Amino acid sequence: MKKKLTVLFLMIVMMAGFTTMTFAQEETTITVWCWDPNFNIYAMEEAAAIYKDINPDVNIEIKEVAWEDLQTQLSTSLSANQTDSLPDIILMQDNALAKNVNSFPNAFYDLSDSGIEFDKFANFKVELTKVDGKNYAVPFDNGAAINAMRVDVLEEAGYTIEDFTNITWEEFIEKGSDVKEKTGKPLLSAIAGQSDLLMIMMQSTGNWFFDQNGEPNIADNEPLKEIIRVYQELLEKEILVQINDWNQYISSFQSGTVAGTMNGAWIIGSIVPVKEQAGNWRITNLPRLANVEGATNYSNQGGSSWMVMANSEHPEIAADFLNQTFAGSKELYETILPSSGAIATYLPAGDSEVYNMPHPFFGGQKIYTEIIDYAAKVPEVDYGIYNYEARDTISTAITQIMSGQDIQSALDEAQSTLEFQMW
Amino acid sequence: MNKQKLFRASKYGFLIFISFCSLFPLFWMFVAATNTSVDVLGGTLIPGFNLIENFKVLTANTNFYQAMWNSFKYAAVTTLASLLVSSLAGYGFEIYHDRGKDMLMKVLLLSLMVPFAVIMVPLYMLFGNLGLLNTTAGFALPTVSTAFLIFLFRQSSRNFPHEVIEASRLDGLTEIGIFFRMFIPIMRSTYAAAAVITFMNAWNNYLWPLIIMQKESAKTMPLLISNLTAGYTIDYGVLMLAVGISILPTLILFLALQKNFAEGVTGSAK
Repeated sequence: MKKKLTVLFLMIVMMAGFTTMTFAQEETTITVWCWDPNFNIYAMEEAAAIYKDINPDVNIEIKEVAWEDLQTQLSTSLSANQTDSLPDIILMQDNALAKNVNSFPNAFYDLSDSGIEFDKFANFKVELTKVDGKNYAVPFDNGAAINAMRVDVLEEAGYTIEDFTNITWEEFIEKGSDVKEKTGKPLLSAIAGQSDLLMIMMQSTGNWFFDQNGEPNIADNEPLKEIIRVYQELLEKEILVQINDWNQYISSFQSGTVAGTMNGAWIIGSIVPVKEQAGNWRITNLPRLANVEGATNYSNQGGSSWMVMANSEHPEIAADFLNQTFAGSKELYETILPSSGAIATYLPAGDSEVYNMPHPFFGGQKIYTEIIDYAAKVPEVDYGIYNYEARDTISTAITQIMSGQDIQSALDEAQSTLEFQMW
Repeated sequence: MNKQKLFRASKYGFLIFISFCSLFPLFWMFVAATNTSVDVLGGTLIPGFNLIENFKVLTANTNFYQAMWNSFKYAAVTTLASLLVSSLAGYGFEIYHDRGKDMLMKVLLLSLMVPFAVIMVPLYMLFGNLGLLNTTAGFALPTVSTAFLIFLFRQSSRNFPHEVIEASRLDGLTEIGIFFRMFIPIMRSTYAAAAVITFMNAWNNYLWPLIIMQKESAKTMPLLISNLTAGYTIDYGVLMLAVGISILPTLILFLALQKNFAEGVTGSAK
């Protein structure tokens, strides 16, 4: 009797075990690594909420990881071949995407045939997420470059924002020195020894630092030389001030030391906290380089995209999740825009009511429609695998040029440094 | 007389200047923690009224309490374990030394020259295979035995009177007994110094927890602070508050053991 009871008990335990196992299988968990609670994480949470209605059995788990930390964890895990603890989805900086795909060719899931409609995203952004013709990521935030300016300062000098719209750098310099003379305020600030502004100018011409074969193209890069010339002139005429670090950069326009800034559209997040300046800001497009063929008034700085990891246990579910939310839900972008300022590269979102709302901080200007419009016009460039290295060598070259070295020899040096690093 | 006064004045002047230089960043950090991000970037040096708000944001946006507890747990376990292991090793190297052990000590010291980044990937593979990711043991094991601590304990063991060992042996203490009942109490200032250093290193450790603590619930304070700097828009008030709070445990430990710490690093025994 006792034996029978034990057998029965054991059978019940086993049955219970199996049922919990099958239940556990039904509920799928997709883990996501990304950074910035007010921006990316918030967007991901909203996407998860939307997907919960579509597919209630899928649980989205988000972990906050700073970008540099994410890259370290990713490289370590992939180099060590320990992919168990990697997530299903990661957020990837666009400028690091090609390098990661090339360094770890089998680590990322190819999304080309996943049903995601990539032609619904801004073209330049899709190009950044492609490697060898394959789509590796769902584009997310918009880094379309804006020229944000203080109209109260411009007014003091007798200008309006229209005077700075669709202009060339020559006109910008001319008007900028006038503003500087009349108000004492420069229009731009840039971190000394960093090449962000030059990169923005470079992309606006549709050129980059590599030729079609991926070889460095710095020493004989005519657009780059023109950009450096303009940069020098901006500095000489004190329209651009150099500061030391990112904090000072933010503080330079928050405190009103400078009357504007040029950066990716995400910089708006750092402009709006200064309540005293509400109503005084407007945005417009960038000046273009008149002497460079094909140059535009549009560019891009920063931005990131969602990738699915190949080691994921459910890559199809992860891809479907992205497809139904970031690549298919206008509602998602409508929700995240007002509270986080996360501007989409998903073009259908641009038609939405929310994007057409006037922004009180920018004097009622419809900034989001403008930015979506800019994004559609950003020239496509291929950042290439060695983008970070290129950026560093250009930064060094700029520092040398600003301290008196002639442009050609500094660029020659940069070219050979980059060639050496790529070798 | 006057010359002496002048010398004194300049000496104090110099010391005040140096103290100012070392304390100003701390002062700035605590002031920043009470201000809004905009004020911090505006360069304010007056305490503001945003402390509670900053704290609310910090605890609402991050797993602050969990990260504090994790950091404390990992650092405490690491400190206790490495003090025990390293002091035993240092004691052994000095008290029972022979040629072989001296040679081994030299090899051990060479390991100080290997940067952590070099062994990071293999170490990660090993810990992954052992199933120690996201665990306290995983955090502590790589730093339980460090060449620096062993060296510190070996050097200070030289000041440990050999007569004590001989007397204890005569009184019937075992070798292990001598270590626990004689060496540890007598060398407490060395232990204090080692504890402060180890706790601080473990608390501030960044790279290793970054790669092995992959679960949100296993995150430490340095990782949390790193996340605070990652956004497009950084809230400097909240950031400084987090940094300010995270230095407190090390600061308290240091202040509590300050007297012993000074004796310990100068190598005296009582």
